Amino acid sequence: MVIIKCPHCGERNQSEFRYGGEYNARPADMMSISDAEAADFIYMKNNKWGVQTEWWYHRQGCQTWFMAERHTRTNEVVKTYLWEKSK
Amino acid sequence: MSTTTTITRLTAGPNEVIDRSKTITFTFNGKQIFAHPGDSIASAVTAAGIKVIGRSFKYHRPRGLHGYGHEMNSMVQIGNEVSISAWLRPVEEGIVVKSVNAWPSPDRDIMSITGMGDRFLPVGFYYKTFIRPTFMWPTYEKVLRSLAGLGKLDIDTPLAQGYDKQYLHCDVAVVGSDPAGLVAAAKAADAGARVSLFTDETTLGGWLRFHPANEGELSDLIGQISAHPNVTIYTDTTVISHHESNWLVAYCGRRLYKIRTKAVVYATGALDQPLVFDSNDLPGILLGSAVERLLHLYGTTVGKKALIVTSNDDGWKIAKDLHEAGVVVMGIADSRPEGPPSVEGAPSLSSEVSGMGIPIFQRHTILKADGKKAVTGAVIAPVRPDGSVNDMATQHIDCDMISVSVGWHPESGLLFQSGTKMSYNDDRHEFLPTDFVEGVFAAGRVAGTHSMATELMSGMLAGQQAAAAAGFGRNPAKTKIAALAEAILEEPVRTSDLVSVPGKGKQFVDRDEDVTTRDIKTAIAEGYNSIELLKRYSTTSMGPSQGKWSNYNTIHMTARENDWTIQETGTTTSRPPTRPVEFGALGGQMMEPVRYTPVHDWHLHHGAKMMVAGLWMRPEHYGDPAAEVKAVRERVGLIDISTLGKMKLTGPGVADLLNKIYINKWSKLKVGRTRYGVMCNSEGVITDDGVTARVSENEWYMSTTSGGAAAVYETMQWWMQSGWGEGVHLRNVTEGRAAFNLAGPQSRNLLGKLVDDATALTNENFPYMGFREMAVGGINCRLMRIGFTGELSYEIHCPASQGAELWEELMAAGAEYEISPFGVEAQRILRLEKAHIIVGQDTDALTDPIMANLDALAKIDKHDFLGKRMVARAAENGVMQKLVGFKMISKDPQSGAPIIPEEGLQIVEEVKRSDKHPIGLKILGWVTSSRLSPTLNEVIGLCWLPTAMAEADSVTFKIRQNGELIEAKTHHGAFVDPEETKLKG
Repeated sequence: MVIIKCPHCGERNQSEFRYGGEYNARPADMMSISDAEAADFIYMKNNKWGVQTEWWYHRQGCQTWFMAERHTRTNEVVKTYLWEKSK
Repeated sequence: MSTTTTITRLTAGPNEVIDRSKTITFTFNGKQIFAHPGDSIASAVTAAGIKVIGRSFKYHRPRGLHGYGHEMNSMVQIGNEVSISAWLRPVEEGIVVKSVNAWPSPDRDIMSITGMGDRFLPVGFYYKTFIRPTFMWPTYEKVLRSLAGLGKLDIDTPLAQGYDKQYLHCDVAVVGSDPAGLVAAAKAADAGARVSLFTDETTLGGWLRFHPANEGELSDLIGQISAHPNVTIYTDTTVISHHESNWLVAYCGRRLYKIRTKAVVYATGALDQPLVFDSNDLPGILLGSAVERLLHLYGTTVGKKALIVTSNDDGWKIAKDLHEAGVVVMGIADSRPEGPPSVEGAPSLSSEVSGMGIPIFQRHTILKADGKKAVTGAVIAPVRPDGSVNDMATQHIDCDMISVSVGWHPESGLLFQSGTKMSYNDDRHEFLPTDFVEGVFAAGRVAGTHSMATELMSGMLAGQQAAAAAGFGRNPAKTKIAALAEAILEEPVRTSDLVSVPGKGKQFVDRDEDVTTRDIKTAIAEGYNSIELLKRYSTTSMGPSQGKWSNYNTIHMTARENDWTIQETGTTTSRPPTRPVEFGALGGQMMEPVRYTPVHDWHLHHGAKMMVAGLWMRPEHYGDPAAEVKAVRERVGLIDISTLGKMKLTGPGVADLLNKIYINKWSKLKVGRTRYGVMCNSEGVITDDGVTARVSENEWYMSTTSGGAAAVYETMQWWMQSGWGEGVHLRNVTEGRAAFNLAGPQSRNLLGKLVDDATALTNENFPYMGFREMAVGGINCRLMRIGFTGELSYEIHCPASQGAELWEELMAAGAEYEISPFGVEAQRILRLEKAHIIVGQDTDALTDPIMANLDALAKIDKHDFLGKRMVARAAENGVMQKLVGFKMISKDPQSGAPIIPEEGLQIVEEVKRSDKHPIGLKILGWVTSSRLSPTLNEVIGLCWLPTAMAEADSVTFKIRQNGELIEAKTHHGAFVDPEETKLKG
């Protein structure tokens, strides 16, 4: 079981967390983008082989959604941090 | 008992695990067996002279002990417990042990007739022989199922109890109790690390226990750790998997250990490998390590006249041990040009063995074994300098047991799982670990050591490295590690690449699955030449021992057939678990948590039939759901809806947040008002619904569905924590508040008795969709006048701690109106009579608000919300299907009783296909809800239909139920009180 470092609570077992999928920022205005761009956001996943930025939720802890950079092949969690507006 | 046996034991040795002073009895296939405490089933039946333990999987050939552990041929059944390893299970007084895969007995097994005609069971026979004609498959399957499988399971056996799980934490985990493991544990513990040592054996020492001459060294090694304060020893504990972040899983009996360690040393040893020759599966043919195990731990042996087949010094050592124990060694067939080298200052093994008068056949190997139910002799032949076998110059050896020692394959399953790479060393004919992952180390035979000195050195260094990786002590000098690597390459070569000899009979590569040399060759000839494909097609290595005694030979044969190198051929993937483990151990205790509402006890005392809804226990009904419906429609009813999700939202930003997560618009909702909201995801699919009230300018009280509460809460947090949370504070108060719905024409009168000022409840002062805070029976409550049931009704929320009190007050005050509690079933009927949807029941993962006729709620032209893009698209382009109400037309033709179609049934249309098949059925939609309405005495429901049909009035359609077509017609709007006079009055 992977150990994940919650930005608030520190290192915890993966079973305390919920996986939220790869990070995919919601376009600022969903209505003005093209159909292709909208479909890309809504339906497409990059399914990256390598270090991927993704969402995790500390369900059995501080209930924070945070970002993790995880290698999808080795499961190594490279780093974790809180979401920031600039991201 | 038909017969009994006496115990025959050899001279006692220092590492024996049996207590010869006591005797216990059990039965094996009805035969009474005497054994000693400490005996395994395997050693006890061997001491009783029994060689045949069971029958083989495919050909039902007689089989006996061979290697160790979970080999399929030594699996037995005790009562209803199947797949028991005879090697691993200790005997107990009175147990009734039976063979598996044999009928009526392993000695006279009727199915062994398949051994006469294996042309009917070629490699891949599941795919080939039984596929045609197709209609015969059900028959084939029945026959095959009765032939295959291990043991008989009684499905009425009660579930075994007492399984549990335990978490263990250590700095260094050592897996395996070979000398290297013991030294590694001692070294790591000396450095200050907390060490846990795991071994699947009952006693410590591994292979060293089979060397009585080294007794002093073994007790020294054990002494170093057994009293060490930093070391915890887990015997009879099998580590079955290695996961990321050094997370190991092990089991011991009915307990599963989940182990978190900073570093791990694998000292899992090596397994000696069989030689593939004609009839190499006969009972009495054992691997050298199995012979040593029986001899040194249990003082027994399978035969009295032994032939030793070897390619290394191990065979010579076994010959000496057997001779000293009183077994006649009929000869040693050593494939090498020369026997064991002489050692300075000590008599060489060669001269010792020669001195015993044992015939030695240098440059010889076995060609075939003779015998029917057990080995009765062997044919040996010379090996030419090029490694080929001269099968024209054979000799016969009389023997009743054969000990095979031709090579070693590291027990590397856990190392593989950790991500460690193994590469093949052509000079030594063995796989060695090369690239280790962080925190993982190997020591001893699994790392390629063969001599005691090198093994101890590797254990010492691995122990230090593991401790250092865990933050204790210092890493050993690099020169020492380099010296070890060199020493390993100079170890005596104990493994031969002569893995099979020529022959015309049955040569078994995998004894678990009855895979022969011919099967391997045929499979490769048919194109399954990659090792992974070959494994799946031939099923080699797919039995309980998972290729521990067949992978190495299969790799060699595949390389030879393909003309590839071993490295090119590669190995198959090792997956957890490395050993068979009971499902019960993996499952642990059966714990399904449920939540009780504050009124749970009242429900139980009043005859409620409880059901699990989401994670809650809820009353389904109190005996008669139809009567409960009637009570609500005509008088008044009370339902416990404390299970609803409840969120408290405060702050100036709440309206903005609600605008985004609901498709409705919230900014203009007035204080003291409520609104029904529908929530979608980005795909525009409905995910939840519920009513939200504006308590004050900056406080909102939101309810969600019972099942959706957690998901809605998490989704709201997600959006709030990624940009939409400004000016909002969210609290999940689901468990903190009880909630009841008081519904029915008398609900206002009833409530009037319990509030301070009954005029506060008039239609003017507290209108439909209003929200009020007031004391009910002295308890501070929040009231919402909403109507899922379609009646005048009040949803009353109060602190959970006062929920039971409020419920009883409402019930008491309702006595004069003949109030009835109602359950989930009555509520489902009531809402269906109003054609209100239940998210998840009437909608699915493709339903958007337009399809569910919720167009009016979606404020597409006004603001941004989750799913807006897709909802707008659906509104603009139209949808293919819509949810619509229906009434049944068909009645039971005999009795005239109403027909209630099952939920989920298809709605179909008869179409003309062709002249040959005049009528076909086309699926138009399906039924999502259906009930007999007690109010209308009609069957009503909701269903999906193509938009044109759904929008037309009273269209007749057909539902397919049990092959019959029954008729229904569409219905728009509520079935009961469509004018909503009851609701709003």
